[in-house]
Amino acid sequence: MSGEGDGNSGYRPEFVAALQLFACVSEAMHARGLQRPILVGGAAAEFWSHSAVTTGDFDICTTRQPELEEEMLRSGFVRPSGAGAMLKGWVHPDLRLGFEVVAEVPMDGNVEPARLRLIRPVGETALFRVICVEDLIADRMGQYASRSAPDRIDQARMLLSLHPDADMDYLERRTREESMGDYGVEDITG
Amino acid sequence: MASKTSPAEGEGTIPETVIDMAELGQRLAARRKAANIPHLPRNAGMDRTPSKQALLDEIAKLGAKW
Repeated sequence: MSGEGDGNSGYRPEFVAALQLFACVSEAMHARGLQRPILVGGAAAEFWSHSAVTTGDFDICTTRQPELEEEMLRSGFVRPSGAGAMLKGWVHPDLRLGFEVVAEVPMDGNVEPARLRLIRPVGETALFRVICVEDLIADRMGQYASRSAPDRIDQARMLLSLHPDADMDYLERRTREESMGDYGVEDITG
Repeated sequence: MASKTSPAEGEGTIPETVIDMAELGQRLAARRKAANIPHLPRNAGMDRTPSKQALLDEIAKLGAKW
């Protein structure tokens, strides 16, 4: 990591540090000829919303979990001693955060690979991947459609308001897919 | 500002745009201010899996304040 701070980006310093670390691990994977892992979930929501969403846990997708864990070990991650069988993730004692591989591919493989974004974190030259904002919004709408998270439509609306340049055709298709056809873009903008 | 990676840097066969997080943050802050868009709430954790809760417990033991 570069050790630089968050500058004027407005992101939380601890979030910037986490993404610098994720980028370094990602770059190490890339240097081995492997695909960079993909950031999803609450950390992706924090990234695209510029809001303090995550609680220190970073959800990651990769098809090469053993290699990723090798690189995480090299970067200072540890598997907590005495942790219960439920624990699948790794923690970084210095940055006080955790990474967990939640799937091999994002959103059951329904995202278009070309839509995955490549990001240069604040103060870092290494790059990482994250799902695009359209897929994140569609994910929120899928959770809303499942009735498990009624507040997610508000999140979808805020995200789309922040990203008026979103690809509406792709967002419409992905929202329909994630909500089993129940919702589309007009439900977000309406 | 977005930039392009070379094919060797990207993972496909064509150059790929790189999003600069610092620039994105400034752009989103300006957009939020101009359109009076509220912040997303902190993750309430209503549907956490056992593995996720176990990870959060370990993070808490480190004294993290996210």
